Amino acid sequence: MPDWMTDLSVWLRVGEILLGAMVILLPLLAVVAYYTYAERKIVGFIQMRLGPSRVGPRGLFQPIADVLKLLTKEVVLPAQASRGLFLLAPLAALVPALGAWAVVPFDDGLWLANIDAGLLYVLALTSLGAYGIIIAGWASNSKYALLGAMRQAAQVVSYEIAMGFALVGVLMLSGSLNLAAIVQAQSGGILDWFFLPLLPLLLVYLVSGVAETNRLPFDVVEGESELVAGFHVEYSGSAFAVFFLAEYSAMILISALTATLFFGGWLSPLEGTQIAQAVPVLDSGIHWWLLKTAFFMFCFLWFRGTFPRYRYDQIMRLGWKVFIPVTLIWIFVLGAARYAGFTG
Amino acid sequence: MAFQTLLFYLFGTVLLAAAAAAVTLRNMVHAALSLILSFFTAAMLWMLLEAEFLSILLVLVYIGAVLVLFLFVVMMVERHTPTIHRRRNYRIVASAVAAVMVAELGMALLAPDFSPTAQPLPAPLEYSNTKALGSVLYTDYALAFEAAAVALLVAIVGAIALTLRVRPDHHRQNPARQSRVRKQDRLRLTDGRSEPPC
Amino acid sequence: MLNEYLAVLLFLLVGAGIGVAVLLLGHLMSRRDPDPDKLRPYECGFEAFDDARMKFDVRYYLVVILFVLFDLEVAFLFPWAVALEEVGAYGLISMAVFLLILAVGFAFEWRRGALEWD
Repeated sequence: MPDWMTDLSVWLRVGEILLGAMVILLPLLAVVAYYTYAERKIVGFIQMRLGPSRVGPRGLFQPIADVLKLLTKEVVLPAQASRGLFLLAPLAALVPALGAWAVVPFDDGLWLANIDAGLLYVLALTSLGAYGIIIAGWASNSKYALLGAMRQAAQVVSYEIAMGFALVGVLMLSGSLNLAAIVQAQSGGILDWFFLPLLPLLLVYLVSGVAETNRLPFDVVEGESELVAGFHVEYSGSAFAVFFLAEYSAMILISALTATLFFGGWLSPLEGTQIAQAVPVLDSGIHWWLLKTAFFMFCFLWFRGTFPRYRYDQIMRLGWKVFIPVTLIWIFVLGAARYAGFTG
Repeated sequence: MAFQTLLFYLFGTVLLAAAAAAVTLRNMVHAALSLILSFFTAAMLWMLLEAEFLSILLVLVYIGAVLVLFLFVVMMVERHTPTIHRRRNYRIVASAVAAVMVAELGMALLAPDFSPTAQPLPAPLEYSNTKALGSVLYTDYALAFEAAAVALLVAIVGAIALTLRVRPDHHRQNPARQSRVRKQDRLRLTDGRSEPPC
Repeated sequence: MLNEYLAVLLFLLVGAGIGVAVLLLGHLMSRRDPDPDKLRPYECGFEAFDDARMKFDVRYYLVVILFVLFDLEVAFLFPWAVALEEVGAYGLISMAVFLLILAVGFAFEWRRGALEWD
């Protein structure tokens, strides 16, 4: 028997990791459930409706009823579908959406894994997100599903480039791929956060995030008026629930990353001032991270309630002809500023 | 057996099995998916060698980009479940290519700098694989780096030349012009009486 | 380093486990009552009159090919941005040349109409 198998500290570490994974993922699932409730309520209020109000007080138990409904509904396996791939596709969508949470820093010292190439890892996982939908579209063997999947793949890959270029700007200021180091590079108060010098890149990143997760106003992938529901038209019950979970956890992830990369993560806007030192709540901590993330989660719903849907050619034009030039020019500007710093 | 050795054999076995599946499966979509699995396990092996940046880059570029293209092409090329048509006359060429590759691998294995049992030096605590790579790539190897830019430029031009078909009969929408339209360009108020046809 | 990546690997496995758990739970809790009409692919109430796997406009391939090339550019930019302090003015110039060469490619794409959708 190899000695690592009898080494208690190894197993303690494994247990610690598994426990940590549960502590991150289970609340995330609960947040996803109530994010759908918040979505229906907020979009309802924007449109002068009440939103869900029947199940429980003010409709608060609605998500629980939804989960039960999704789990008890039949999973229809279409006769012409490729069965194995049909069931693999939801998992291929979910794992990259959840996986990136392993490296997100919630507070100073509070993370599951502190890897040096954190941001690269996040970008790599984002790039895998396309598979779930391509495989679903092909495995369903249905025209609408395939059309939706093709559109989605072309859209997601286009915005991924803009997203990658926007992240390069963050790296140029932080000098590190490690997410915690990126937050620490922003310390010193609200004026030191990256959103000020990187304002154009922040906008590109946030809008690309909306396009990457196929949310309104960029949801032509689902386009219910033309493609019925796009790639998941043949999915029902729990298989559909997994896609749903993937989409919403990806939205929360984009919100969390925007807060981390551009808005100082767990840092307080008043950091270092006397007020922050006197009132502990105003000092840096996980509550700031939660607050910032919640704000960007709200933005996703706000966009949905406000903007009319883009046409597909407009989406592709925005990604290639607006965002890529904007990010490239901004990288040049940042580089020129650096050059002046080196030589002058 | 050390834990890392166990992982090495685990990933190595999966890699070989997936690679074998990629070249033997008749359904091309399944073959492409096996290729994804083999790239993924290869990335895991690089990670075991502490090549952090390259390992994640393998996932980002090959799985996240190149194989998306593969899958795209394979899924659409043929109408029905795509299967490979075996052609005898490719065998000779394929064997020649394989022989050259085996010879090259053999030469690499016999090279004096190369040891199949060498272990990577344990990295110091604040060591950044990415930074170490970046600090030489753009200065010491600047020429190779610019050559890569030229190669990418050639690829862009080639891809467009091969696939772009501009069809003159297509109607294009010009979003800039569309959003510049004002009310008076489109709308004319009349007094409600019928007008002679124009 | 590998210690941290072990955490990432286990985390990915737990994430996959959650997906499998949801699918299994759905399998156990739902009833199954297939009939041929239900299992047909969705098509506005018609019988599907063609195989769904059809040929696609070559434009989609072009977008994905261009994506692969630009993704490589991003891959080159990442270590550069991280090592900005180390490479100094020389590294800045070499990246500027790199980007200018590729800007030529981008301009070519634009002029040829490879980025148009109609």
